[in-house]
Amino acid sequence: MSRDPDAGTPRWRLDFPIRWDDDQYVTRRELAKFLTLGSALLVGATGAVSLLLRPTRRPGPELRIAAAASIPPGGTVLFRYPTEADPCILLRLGDGRLAAYSQVCTHLSCAVVHEPGGDDLHCPCHQGWFSGADGRPFAGPPTRRLPRILLEERAGDVYAVGIEV
Amino acid sequence: METRRQGLPLFTAICFLIGTLVVIQLWLLAAALEAALSAERSALLPVTLASLALFLVNAGLLWYVVDFDRRLRREGVDG
Repeated sequence: MSRDPDAGTPRWRLDFPIRWDDDQYVTRRELAKFLTLGSALLVGATGAVSLLLRPTRRPGPELRIAAAASIPPGGTVLFRYPTEADPCILLRLGDGRLAAYSQVCTHLSCAVVHEPGGDDLHCPCHQGWFSGADGRPFAGPPTRRLPRILLEERAGDVYAVGIEV
Repeated sequence: METRRQGLPLFTAICFLIGTLVVIQLWLLAAALEAALSAERSALLPVTLASLALFLVNAGLLWYVVDFDRRLRREGVDG
């Protein structure tokens, strides 16, 4: 005569015969797989952001802005490019180079202005600051750089020929 | 069964570690997005490589989990 293996086991255990440590073992193994799959997706997303969100250069209509000699170091010229609804600013930097950017702040679309005595552009609405050398924000709430207007100098005149976003 | 009992805290620790690395990867994704939008091209490649390295660590840990489980099954413990 064999002994009853369930003798001494509470009735609830017989009705609900799940071993929690076994169950947790399996669920944690599956969680590790799920997290690693998420990790692979995050690598893919980071790679996609790096590849797809590179600055793009778009050629636009050619527009004469001003005579190069008429802009002294620290001087600015306001113009509209590529359409009449797009205000832009051309400035000659302290080192003599010319640079042009969209005047629309990348924070909340106020107009940025040149700060006299330096190369920087300033948004007076929320105290955002952009470098005049490359349009990158370095202070205040803006996190994206200003769209850059591509310039060409021909026969002493400065032309806008495209935009880099 | 004893090996499996040891496996539970091991898997728990590995899950915590993988989870922590995934959170770091999320932060790297946010940093990549930030860098891309502000045209900081120089930051994009290192951020992507760091995320890839973390994924490889995660894959190694998962491989350890799978291998541990396979050894248990070979020893005759089903799960």
